Amino acid sequence: MMERVMDTVTEENRKDRLNKERMEKIDFKMVTFSLGGKDYGIDIMKVKEISKADRFTYVPNTAPFVKGVYNLRGEIISIIDLRIMFHLPAEKKKEGVPENIIILRLDEYLIGVVVDTIDKVVGISSETIQPTPSLFGDINIKYIKGVVNHEGRLYILLDVDRILGAEREEVRKEIDTPLLKRAEEKAEAQDNHQAVDFSFIIDTLATFKKFTVNSINENWVRKRFDEWKSDRAYKGEDFQLKDPVEAEEYLSAFYSPYTGRFWAEEYFKSFEAFLPELTGGSFNVWNAGCGNGYETYSLAVLLKSRYPSSMIKIWAHDNDLLNISNAPNLLVNPEEVPEKYHSFLVEGKNGYQFSQVIKDSILFEYHDLLHQSSFPEVDFIVARDIISFLNPAEQEKVFSEFMDKLKPGGLLFLGQNEILNLEGWEMVDRGTMKAYKKEV
Amino acid sequence: MRVEYINPFVESAFNVLREVLNSDIERGELYLKSTSQPVLGVAAIVGLAGDVEGRVLFDMSKPTAIAIASAMNGEELKSLDDLAKATITELANMITAQAVTKLHELGFKFDLTPPAIFTGDNMEITDSKVEALIVPVILPQGKVEINVAVRERA
Repeated sequence: MMERVMDTVTEENRKDRLNKERMEKIDFKMVTFSLGGKDYGIDIMKVKEISKADRFTYVPNTAPFVKGVYNLRGEIISIIDLRIMFHLPAEKKKEGVPENIIILRLDEYLIGVVVDTIDKVVGISSETIQPTPSLFGDINIKYIKGVVNHEGRLYILLDVDRILGAEREEVRKEIDTPLLKRAEEKAEAQDNHQAVDFSFIIDTLATFKKFTVNSINENWVRKRFDEWKSDRAYKGEDFQLKDPVEAEEYLSAFYSPYTGRFWAEEYFKSFEAFLPELTGGSFNVWNAGCGNGYETYSLAVLLKSRYPSSMIKIWAHDNDLLNISNAPNLLVNPEEVPEKYHSFLVEGKNGYQFSQVIKDSILFEYHDLLHQSSFPEVDFIVARDIISFLNPAEQEKVFSEFMDKLKPGGLLFLGQNEILNLEGWEMVDRGTMKAYKKEV
Repeated sequence: MRVEYINPFVESAFNVLREVLNSDIERGELYLKSTSQPVLGVAAIVGLAGDVEGRVLFDMSKPTAIAIASAMNGEELKSLDDLAKATITELANMITAQAVTKLHELGFKFDLTPPAIFTGDNMEITDSKVEALIVPVILPQGKVEINVAVRERA
């Protein structure tokens, strides 16, 4: 009899427990920690281990939230500081006190994150994870998986893949372009909302026009952004760029004066300010990205009229076969071009063309800027509005090619809205135009 | 690649191929290449010298080469024998010669070297300091890539 009672009691107990378990089925464990005095959690499956360390090896030219790299038992892992990444206040640690680090495993990749204090492991039912409230101040909302209430405390559950996936990309870009710093990061530090809008513009320009926003043109893109926004708001339209046409419209003010047409007298004057007193018998120019040749012919006319007895040679390159195919036999309407051109025109069967003197000084080539080329050193390189349309790795390659091809003290001309801030180049400002001198 | 050179090569490739094979041919998109490039299996090469220096390479797979040689000889060839090789070499010679003639008329002086033919697997060609223009031609017999790498003599 007694036994049977005992049996029923244990049976009851078991049922109770089962029920309870069913109610609170623990299928999700998270490591909790605090950042800036608030509680956060990370899925335990992503955590490899918890450790304490300090004295990370600083890596130059990384994002501010990257603390450096750390040698974890022979494996080099990068360490990032979530407090800096999320703009949270961080206590200054005393020298010699190690930081708390959670080491996360993402695919085959390890990364350490620095947090204030590590709390404990909490088991919860994944059903109790609640969606993120739409207003969250500190942390960019896309990084939050949800919010969990456990024993009266609210934990914010971070989406590690999102945070570090995005971060990883950024780190990679950094490595690609140690010389030309990406604009996005700087944008991040500014007002967040504005920054998101702006980085969207950066992305769409890259997608639609292969236009890279970085230190070369960032000033212009920012200025244009404000202008564009107010302009679009006035028209009652959204400022985001929806298609290549709008992207082109955004960039319409970017192009240098006289793109795709012959130069006028005033532009000749601005350019002339850079021309040296010629001592040698020859003057070589590389016109990268000459398009359909207007720029090249204008240059040739300028140089020929300034140095009539010198040997002028212009290598004009473009990788658009259709455009450049027409360049050697470009027809000119004498009424539409300034006086300066007239003495260099001859009448042919189909209309006016440039004379043999000019044609002989120009060599139009179908050439990709990223490939090797075989012409001698040049005095000038004219590459207006070309660099911005290359990706950062290509830009770096092209600048080293420019460096290579230019004579010492030679000048590089970029677009009106392009600024070069690179070691080895010195800016020469002659009022209306700027050029960059190769430092000797 | 000087713009003036492009058309003569493209045009003569078309004229000659259309004439000798007597069939429809299609042109692929022209493009530039500068790194090492794989060679399909049979490559006929013609050197250029004069105002310019460089070479023209006619590149095709072995079955394509056999099919073209068969069509040109009017008989079914089974393998890439001496006759087939001589035929492909001759084709390369004809195309290059016609292009050079056209260029001569435009005032550019070129000389040709006798054509040579390479066959084998996993071949690559690398030109230093010169970019190659690739003219892909699609024939009923297969694809032929005409690979022109010339530069002005410095």
